[in-house]
Amino acid sequence: MSARRIVLTSGKGGVGKTTTTANLGAMLAKRGHRVVLVDADIGLRNLDLVLGVEKRIVFDIVEVVEGRCQLRQALIKDKRLENLSILPAAQTRDKTAITELQFADVVRQLGEICDYVLIDCPAGIEHGFRNAIAGASEAIVVTTPEVSAIRDASRVIGKLQERGLPLRLIVNRLRPEMVRSGDMLSVDDVTDILSAELLGIIPDDEEVIDSTNKGEPIVLQTESRLAAVYDKIARRLEGELVPFTTFGAPGFFARIFGKAS
Amino acid sequence: MHELVQQEAPATSAVPRKRGRAIVVTSGKGGVGKTTTTANTGAALAATGASVVLVDADVGLRNLDIVLGLEARVRHHVLDVLEGHVTLDDALVTDKRVPTMRLLAAAQTREKDDVDTAAFRDLISGLRDRFDYVLIDCPAGIEKGFANAIAGADEAIIVCTPEVSAVRDADRVVGLLGDGRDVKLIVNRLRPAMVRRGKMLSVEDVNGILRLPLLGVIEDAPDVIVSTNRGEPVALDPASPVGESYRQIAQRISGTLTGVPEIPREKSLFEKLFGGRK
Repeated sequence: MSARRIVLTSGKGGVGKTTTTANLGAMLAKRGHRVVLVDADIGLRNLDLVLGVEKRIVFDIVEVVEGRCQLRQALIKDKRLENLSILPAAQTRDKTAITELQFADVVRQLGEICDYVLIDCPAGIEHGFRNAIAGASEAIVVTTPEVSAIRDASRVIGKLQERGLPLRLIVNRLRPEMVRSGDMLSVDDVTDILSAELLGIIPDDEEVIDSTNKGEPIVLQTESRLAAVYDKIARRLEGELVPFTTFGAPGFFARIFGKAS
Repeated sequence: MHELVQQEAPATSAVPRKRGRAIVVTSGKGGVGKTTTTANTGAALAATGASVVLVDADVGLRNLDIVLGLEARVRHHVLDVLEGHVTLDDALVTDKRVPTMRLLAAAQTREKDDVDTAAFRDLISGLRDRFDYVLIDCPAGIEKGFANAIAGADEAIIVCTPEVSAVRDADRVVGLLGDGRDVKLIVNRLRPAMVRRGKMLSVEDVNGILRLPLLGVIEDAPDVIVSTNRGEPVALDPASPVGESYRQIAQRISGTLTGVPEIPREKSLFEKLFGGRK
């Protein structure tokens, strides 16, 4: 059976595509699936950093396409999760180094050796975006509860629908206390505006910044509350019906003393 | 150098006007605060009486109009001007809060490939004859939209957050900007408490890699999200500490403020409990 090929995209940059790709991929691998992560951000790669494999890169996707190495030689196996591999982007080339057809062909080949291919799309809707969606069979749109991110997500959803790609939504960096005080859009607001099916809600958590800088996906830290959040998203992706958590705002003392509830 | 550019100014004006400065706000990585920085720096410059035009170069994914709260007033966009459908004056939106500030919006339903880089450069050049400051809000990435946005600018502001990924992308962009431009740095979304706990890169860490003149440091604050959603730049709020940081950045750009920018420190428990504003 061929793998599911899922592109993670957003339009707007910095909403958490790369972090979500790394953590969702790690969680799926933890759950026993064979997973390959593809960095489609040629010229501005970062997935390698978030996974902490940047020093182990020998070949990249452009070298695969140009026939300088075998696809398997370019794959970096994660040392923590044996089911997880990453195909890095080239850093010193630009996105036009690969055509949509070439990109789709690489993704198709990866689909023959694993269960899930997750494609980390660059920001924007230019050539890099067209490459990233070319080989995908479905899409996850990552957005944050901000007017600008939602407007960009809406544009991207239109482009995905033109291609007939099924899509679901992850609302990232929700701050429940700001939703309560009326200073942030709620998840319902976001799904209403975008009229898209919800796949997951990820609360804002400053531990993500630290985990990104260290190159350790947060789902590998057992005490992290986000591990449970990603576990639910992974199970929904597998087809299980998992109820959505409504994230309560931290109480007064938690706010004063800076502890997450 | 200024003598050279002044000769290019239109001969029609009795006193040759000093050409304005074209500054591109860029980062490589998306979501680090380019648009927010453009809006607030522009508003702070305009509030001092300078004439400012903000140009949204993010064709297809525009947001500068939203951050400024002007989305309902955009009638025409930069491609309408470049393709000769309307005049520049038809497309410029005046900000009622700061009458010396104008917005030139990007097209939302077009592509960056539709913009001719040379024509965009000429447009910026023309704006420099009319405004003291032309601030260009660059899209994320380093594709065609980036090439367009930097084409007419001889100064650049790199916006970077204290994250390894943002620093790496910023470093790549500094390389692509080349030696011909005056490049300065704004470190955005610093959380001093996290820096102290060793959970976030410090300003020194960031600039140890980028090695750029520091224009300012903006602290991470929820009121920026609120102001963005409401379309009210914090730089126009006299009581906002983040707004004050933007006003100081504007003063550094204009040259009225010199010296090393202040790096936000962690507040004491007393300040946290009794400091008034969150």
